[in-house]
Amino acid sequence: MRVLFFGRLKELTGGTEDSAEFADGTTIEQLFALYSARLPELAKYRSSVVPSRNQEFAAWDTPLRSGDEVAFLPPVSGG
Amino acid sequence: MATLHHDDIYQLMRAPIDMAVLARHVRAPEDGAIVTFDGFVRNQSHNRPTLYLDYEAYESMALAKMQEIGTQLHEKYRIHRVAMVHRLGRLEIGETSVFIAVSAPHRAAAFDACRFAIDTLKRTVPIWKKEYFADGAVWADGELPPAPVATPRAKPAS
Repeated sequence: MRVLFFGRLKELTGGTEDSAEFADGTTIEQLFALYSARLPELAKYRSSVVPSRNQEFAAWDTPLRSGDEVAFLPPVSGG
Repeated sequence: MATLHHDDIYQLMRAPIDMAVLARHVRAPEDGAIVTFDGFVRNQSHNRPTLYLDYEAYESMALAKMQEIGTQLHEKYRIHRVAMVHRLGRLEIGETSVFIAVSAPHRAAAFDACRFAIDTLKRTVPIWKKEYFADGAVWADGELPPAPVATPRAKPAS
């Protein structure tokens, strides 16, 4: 599974693009909680982040499968 | 997937955007109007002088979302061609960060589509800008894309 962080989250996580293995069925919410446990500062961005799964915006309770690409997206500011 | 419009251009690029080339690309004999949007780097943000901006994107998803906007444009408006380009990396004051050109047989559709395109891009395309000032840098306040609500639960097996 690929997990991507962007914008301020990318800076916070050290610009990581983790390749990680999680049990099938882990939800995006649980995945974010795992990273927040390692990096408590992440938790405060939970309410302002929107997740995506395989490059589509996804609900937090979406279950994940191996091979998925998950990204945590701060409020977008293009234009 | 809806119809792909092969004459459209959707692009993320690091080099300066050539607006004239894009406007010319969407121009065709059967059209009567082109509306363009040129978004460029302002010299201040909330009254603080800006030095420069740095844009980053979730590139593959950003491009897919831009193409999705294009599909919506063709569904909603009677337009002909679309060119939509966003720049990434460091941009100086006055440089174009986003450019959209829409051609149509008649002007109303081109105006409406161009407005819809930039408004939707700013809400849904995963691109971020960091603003650099003399005394530091901040990520620009952004917009939260419309997140899907909870997924419907699978029916329990009976």
